[in-house]
Amino acid sequence: MRQSVSLILSSLAVFKSLGRSSNIALVISLGLVIFVFSLMSEYFFSARNLTNVLGQSSIIMLIALGVAIGLIAGEVDISVGSVVAVTAIPLIEIMNSTGSLPLGILGALAVGMCVGAINGYFSVYLKINSLIVTLGMLFILRGAVYLYTGKRATPDTVYLESFFILGNGKLFGVLPIPALVAGLIAVALIFGMQYLRFGRRIYAVGGNAEVARLAGYNVMQIKFICFIICSALATCGGILLSSRLGAAIHTAGINYEFQAVAAVVLGGVSLAGGVGTLTGVVLGVLILAFVSNGLGMINAPTEWQLVITGLVIIAAVTLDSFKSHQRT
Amino acid sequence: MLSKSDQVTTQQQIDFLKVTGLTKSFPGVVALDDVSLTVRSGEVLALLGENGAGKSTLIKLLAGVYAADKGLIEIGGTPHTFHSPSDALDAGIKVVFQEIALIPEFTVAENIFLETHLSKSFGRVPWKEIQDRAVDIFDRAGFALDPNSKVRDLPVSKQQLVEISRALAHDARVVIMDEPTSSLTPSEVANLFQVIGRLKSMGIAIIYVSHKLEEIFEISDKCVVLRDGKWISTKHTRDHTQGSLIKDMVGREIEDLFPRSERSLGPTMIDVSGLSTRARLRDISFNVRAGEVVGFFGLMGAGRTELAKAVVGYEPILSGSVKIDGHQLKPHSTSKSKALGIGLLTEDRKSEGLMPDISITHNMTLAALQNFRRRGFIDENDEAQKVGQFVERFRIKHSALSQPIKTLSGGNQQKVLLSRWLMFGLKVIVLDEPTRGIDVGAKAEIFALIDELAAAGLAVILMTSEMPELFGLSDRIYVLSEGQITAEIDGNNATQEEVLDAAIR
Repeated sequence: MRQSVSLILSSLAVFKSLGRSSNIALVISLGLVIFVFSLMSEYFFSARNLTNVLGQSSIIMLIALGVAIGLIAGEVDISVGSVVAVTAIPLIEIMNSTGSLPLGILGALAVGMCVGAINGYFSVYLKINSLIVTLGMLFILRGAVYLYTGKRATPDTVYLESFFILGNGKLFGVLPIPALVAGLIAVALIFGMQYLRFGRRIYAVGGNAEVARLAGYNVMQIKFICFIICSALATCGGILLSSRLGAAIHTAGINYEFQAVAAVVLGGVSLAGGVGTLTGVVLGVLILAFVSNGLGMINAPTEWQLVITGLVIIAAVTLDSFKSHQRT
Repeated sequence: MLSKSDQVTTQQQIDFLKVTGLTKSFPGVVALDDVSLTVRSGEVLALLGENGAGKSTLIKLLAGVYAADKGLIEIGGTPHTFHSPSDALDAGIKVVFQEIALIPEFTVAENIFLETHLSKSFGRVPWKEIQDRAVDIFDRAGFALDPNSKVRDLPVSKQQLVEISRALAHDARVVIMDEPTSSLTPSEVANLFQVIGRLKSMGIAIIYVSHKLEEIFEISDKCVVLRDGKWISTKHTRDHTQGSLIKDMVGREIEDLFPRSERSLGPTMIDVSGLSTRARLRDISFNVRAGEVVGFFGLMGAGRTELAKAVVGYEPILSGSVKIDGHQLKPHSTSKSKALGIGLLTEDRKSEGLMPDISITHNMTLAALQNFRRRGFIDENDEAQKVGQFVERFRIKHSALSQPIKTLSGGNQQKVLLSRWLMFGLKVIVLDEPTRGIDVGAKAEIFALIDELAAAGLAVILMTSEMPELFGLSDRIYVLSEGQITAEIDGNNATQEEVLDAAIR
């Protein structure tokens, strides 16, 4: 008797926490996705496939984390897909001429962070809507890449092993290095957003900028830095992609901004700012990655992959909105 | 003046906050004119005055939101200049605003230490310490708060406690409360008063702003009354009566700004019975006849705006009925109410009335567009001609009809918005604070316009918190308090005391 009561109470507690934090709901959804596809395809649930998905999702993962930090601060950055393409060029060219991977990475990051600073300057200090600023930047950077490269790929000609491993290596022959890189960065960011003062300030600024200002925060500076972080993370994604491709490709990263925003929203980050966790974003990225991989495994046509991805996003956000309506 | 013996008994209670000759003007208006006051530690000072008396300006100066033009703020004998709210907080002044300033998604504990996050090495947030310190404060002050609950999930009464805890966390010596009870239930008010008692015993000085006179008599030691930005009186609360306080607050003779033409009353145009809303309104019944101006008076939080929105179908109702010229307003929506001939001039002109960047013409013809339709197209000549007529009739000062409406003065904007409804052709118009933010000259013109509307046979419902406006315009007065009608008074025989008495009932 007592056991059954405590069982009921504990299951109630699980439901209550489901209502509180969407992360548990996301974990369950991820589990369901993996479970369902495992039933439908014998190849899906294998170490090889699962770790592959982790590796493939690492690029969108880094981009999505950056977009999420911007959204939590109350700003949106959709120039990230073009940042991927534009920063690959200094990476490859510096490596080709100096033979040094660290210099190439530094060059790429420098270019990426400059883009972030420009986005931030126009959005924050000139007070132009960040959606518009970064939309413009999306076109400008893509056009600049086409102009600079003459619409041709810029291949890596020095074949550094370290560079190859970065995007294609596997730790212990199992875990893809890009997944490791993205995972480490994600853990650091999750920790920072939760436990560092700067992270909490980002939440405060996005939650209510006026309150944050009254509490003595430099709201503009915090938002500006978020733009730079976002571009820097997109650059990291671009570096991994270039390593996989062995070149700077002028069409790299097209539509990545939409995949990133989709994962971020699925992960429970509010477009209005101040709400959401990076853990949720990681889960959102993984859910979309497994859905798309699973659909490929069961040989669903790509057209259907698009339709189903769209349905998943709208369904998730609709459920979330029901939940928040119930609360008020 | 205090006698010598008083000084001896209050020796411990030094004048903690001393304000001398504080003055602040905004373009066109002196909001606060040479006001001085002192508050001692452990004392509750009530700050009183009508809307526009300068109370909020004074509070915002003390909070560091505005900088004073002139005057001195001394705390514990040291003069201070505030450049920002954090300066005021550092100096020991904490304001609990009516609009609670907390981050809803953060926990109670984190909100309390929002300013500092108790900085640690590498900028790490010491969650445990924040939580412990918060619990410490709650124990000291006797608050029943959970440091880990999200502020979003708390009722306003608890959010106030979080704000007060923030004050305690910063060792604030002066806590200013701006209408703290406006959205509290009676039992929550009783709790708040216990908290105030505890703050007093901790030696904290409190400045308490409220319209509710009973509260003032219950909680305050001293009353400072402001009117039109000027200091009127400072007295011990025990030396005041309700009558003497009201007199100090209202004071002035009501000027004859109000023309009243001969109006003949027609049939009942709007009949509201038993109307209740989810939030505040309870069992409201009233009626207005054609050619009649009926004023609704209520203090802040009485439910005026809510009533205005409910009768035009903008806010959902729980029960009751609204009949316009004999027709039931059903479904309860603004498109139906417009078809029946009732429109609302909103209190919040900026966000609910104007399309600021759009031309005068398009702002004015918004409601009446179908009048200009010819075979599915808008006849722009007809439109321009009609707009021209209204601009002339109401003497709307403008340079071109295509200019964005935001470039007009508040009074002229209001005339355009009134024209919007008149052009459509209404039977009943609801005016919610029609002269808010409008200077005196334009006010008189709006008053004349309201009189003209009634004379032309409209039923006019006037929601106002301004006494002179209420008495000058209304044929009949209903008084609202806490969402209920507490009095119906004939406009010609009403006294201010009678109305205020019903408003704080």
